[in-house]
Amino acid sequence: MRIELSKDLEEEMKKLKEELADLKEQLRDVTEREHERRRGIHIDVGDHVHDYIEDVMEGVAEGIHGELEKSIFIGPRGVKILRERPYHRKEDRIEVSFPKVAEVMSALGHEHRLTILKELMRGGKYINELQEKLSEITTSTLSSHLKVLEEAGLVVQEKVRGRYLITIPGRTAYKMARRVTRFVEGRNQK
Amino acid sequence: MIWQNYKLGDAVSKALEAITLWKTERGIIEISNGTLVIPIKLDNQEKGYVFHGHGKLLLDAIVETEEGAVGKPIEKELNEPFLMLEDTEEIREHIVEASEEDLAKIGYENKQGFVDRAEDLYDQFLKNRVYSHRRFNGDHGLIFAFPNEDSKFDILLAKGSKLVYKATDIVFVSNTNKVVLKNPDEVVCTGNGKSVVIKKGKSVIIRK
Repeated sequence: MRIELSKDLEEEMKKLKEELADLKEQLRDVTEREHERRRGIHIDVGDHVHDYIEDVMEGVAEGIHGELEKSIFIGPRGVKILRERPYHRKEDRIEVSFPKVAEVMSALGHEHRLTILKELMRGGKYINELQEKLSEITTSTLSSHLKVLEEAGLVVQEKVRGRYLITIPGRTAYKMARRVTRFVEGRNQK
Repeated sequence: MIWQNYKLGDAVSKALEAITLWKTERGIIEISNGTLVIPIKLDNQEKGYVFHGHGKLLLDAIVETEEGAVGKPIEKELNEPFLMLEDTEEIREHIVEASEEDLAKIGYENKQGFVDRAEDLYDQFLKNRVYSHRRFNGDHGLIFAFPNEDSKFDILLAKGSKLVYKATDIVFVSNTNKVVLKNPDEVVCTGNGKSVVIKKGKSVIIRK
């Protein structure tokens, strides 16, 4: 009788050991994943990998550009590498013009105008080409949107050929609007 | 032979219709019907004109870079006398002798009034210019000189797709895909897909 009990107990113990081993294995997997997550190795970019890399590269490029701004000065006597950061200079402490900021933000604050900027990011376009992309609005509405963008300095129109071109501030403003939107969307999802 | 050998003619004409003096993808210079014209001659051959009437200059002094477009279009009303040097054969077909009435429309009492004004302009243009005729003559393209507010001249040189425009606060040089622009805010150079933008002493954007 004692032997039979012992056998049952042995089998029970064996099963428990196997279950414990499984649990330990699962726990190890969970722990490793958690460690990876904490180390920042686990990045699930999914289908948006290109967008992610683009964002990172944009950030890097802007960083490099920012550093160049701070450290290189090209004057009439050639290129000068500045030791001091020019932002420390008195003349660089210029107040931001809020009316201008408001004008730019207002120009960006319309879905159709953002679509126009997006199209112009791909190259200069005639008004009929833009009209094809914005068929839901009339030509006069499109013209008034273009006027707003021109007045804000985000777009310039050639007088001879008539093409519309996005300016350097226009590109920067469009990228900024896109990044802000992604940032806000990301926070809302959390 | 030097610039001073060019002389103003004495025949005062007017444009019969609107005439396009120069046109490319970058710019246009037009004069309207009734604009007064006086020839500039070398060895009794017409080598250019002084115009006075109404007209316009359009020039897209814009550079496209990977970072975006820089510059802006120039739009200038040509209501003051200006000068053009070029092969004038085509223009001759579109002008006829001006009447007293035609002169009066532009504000001159008589023919001599316009001749004097054109001579003043020409003398001012020639001042300090002693270029060799050999260098200037031949296939030189077009030269336009527009008096500006600083009592100097805005100059436009054009030959095929090549273009140089120099005004008080802008220099614009274009040759097919190579462009240089200097204005009070920035200097931009582009060519062969590369571009450099230098912003008023603070930032440098170099592409490719």
